[in-house]
Amino acid sequence: MLEVKGLDKSFGAIHVTRDVSLSLNMGERRVILGPNGAGKTTLFNQLVGEIAPDKGTVTLGGEDITPLGVAARASKGLSRSYQKNTLFDGLSLRENLGLAAAIHTGAARSVFRDSMTDKKVCEIVEETAHLVHLLPHLDLMVSEVSYGIRRQLEVGIALATRPRVILMDEPTSGIGPEMSHAFHTMLNDLPRDLTLLIIEHDMDLAFDVADSITVLNYGEVVFDGTPDEAQGSDLLKEIYLGSWEDA
Amino acid sequence: MFRHTPFRIATLLALLVGMVIASFFAGYFGLEIMSEIIVLAILVLALDLVAGFGGMVSLCHGALLGFGAYAFAVFTALLGWDPSVAMIAAIAATGAVGWIIGALCSGSHGIYFIMVTLAFGQMAYSFVFGAAFLGGDDGMSGITRPDLSAIGVDLNDSRSFVLYALVCAVIAYLFAAQFLRSGLGRSLVGVQQSEQRVRALGLVPWRTKAHAFGVSGLIAGLAGVLAAQHIMYISPGLLSWTVSGEALVVVILGGLGTLVGPLVGAVAFVLIKHEVAAVTPYWHLVVGVILIAVVMSRANGIFGFVEVRLNRRRAAKVAATDVKTDAKLGKTEGQVRDA
Repeated sequence: MLEVKGLDKSFGAIHVTRDVSLSLNMGERRVILGPNGAGKTTLFNQLVGEIAPDKGTVTLGGEDITPLGVAARASKGLSRSYQKNTLFDGLSLRENLGLAAAIHTGAARSVFRDSMTDKKVCEIVEETAHLVHLLPHLDLMVSEVSYGIRRQLEVGIALATRPRVILMDEPTSGIGPEMSHAFHTMLNDLPRDLTLLIIEHDMDLAFDVADSITVLNYGEVVFDGTPDEAQGSDLLKEIYLGSWEDA
Repeated sequence: MFRHTPFRIATLLALLVGMVIASFFAGYFGLEIMSEIIVLAILVLALDLVAGFGGMVSLCHGALLGFGAYAFAVFTALLGWDPSVAMIAAIAATGAVGWIIGALCSGSHGIYFIMVTLAFGQMAYSFVFGAAFLGGDDGMSGITRPDLSAIGVDLNDSRSFVLYALVCAVIAYLFAAQFLRSGLGRSLVGVQQSEQRVRALGLVPWRTKAHAFGVSGLIAGLAGVLAAQHIMYISPGLLSWTVSGEALVVVILGGLGTLVGPLVGAVAFVLIKHEVAAVTPYWHLVVGVILIAVVMSRANGIFGFVEVRLNRRRAAKVAATDVKTDAKLGKTEGQVRDA
């Protein structure tokens, strides 16, 4: 579904992405692990089109999307959520999801019809709210809901464009361990045909949700395998867990 | 996002009914002031659409108004077109110019956006000021009003003109409100809130901004056409950046991003201007003090100030009734809290 080949990026003398190749099948849930500064977010930004790579290609469903910009990639079915909440703060949760759904259905371009009462948009909003457990909160304003609910909305907005692939940047960042577990369950319950690529700090999420794990270190893929293999890998312990112990 | 609350509808109706009644009691000078209010109201409607809902604080709306006025004057006085055809053409042309300015400025934000729009406005002003075929700094005269004698209305009568302008204002308001409730208008609010996010969802922000600026241009064009028809003489002063600045003051005074507030602001501004000017030539000083007070009160203009307080009072009332009903039902305090 999503294929990355030989992606390479340098900022001056700093080589942040080194010949990264990844391949995700449809419905696969892959977690990218790596210590701080491993280049995870920079890799993400190249996948969604916010940064142009120096070398390499990104293909989505067999189509080369490397030359496309952010919006064009999104309309091809590549969606993302942010590590730091990027919501429509002055609006209600329903309006947040409605905006995303309307952009997907094209209702957002209509001068005559109200996108918020559009049947298709309303359907997607309800469906998405169900998936991310926001149904009881839909009519609250973003400013009125807790941080945890905002994290759910962050993922919800990305889902409301009915994407084929979602890239999630640390979806559980900032929420406590108990809520984290509920969040993992929510991610596990997402439709199975949805392909997920998740950046994570948290090893638990990787083992709860992932079908496969990729580990980045200094911009380079140093491990690619199943969660079981990851658990037994000495290399992973050394560069990932090792760095924690050293700290 | 834009909503029609009962308070907003009530305010609109009060303004409309007030204007209609006033038009039957006002003398010649009063009717002139009313025409001035209506033209300003339509202009600030256009400005609030982009500034309040799209975050595009424009300093070229005076120039858009002036463009509409000059386009109407050229079509009628120079080309001899029928005023009603000229009116539609002038509005459409201003919309097109608005779209182009919006598209060109959509990449800049905040203070830079203000400066780029100011530059466009000043360019237009300088051009008109120097253009001999537009009368240069002498301006243009010989502008005619549309002929509505077919329906028994003589627009050369001040009262009829005020009522006609009022109908135009109502149409402009309904058009703006409809736009804000459309898919495009709603995504404009999304663009204002987070351009980064809408782009990541697949929307191209500059297009939405340009369309909104085009719609705003149509409305500003209407204000310009009415201004030209009202005075029947136009000068480059209409395109001056001070006109844009004044419109911005009115939007902030009334309540940015409420669409209804700026209309209240327009009425208040013109009335203050004329009432205070009768007493002292330093009326700007009074407007300045009021503006500072409004901004420092942290309220969203006069209208926003009242609206927020009304909402709070209603919320408190609802909460109080809930507690009362719960108490009647014999719930204990603990149950009420759980509920």
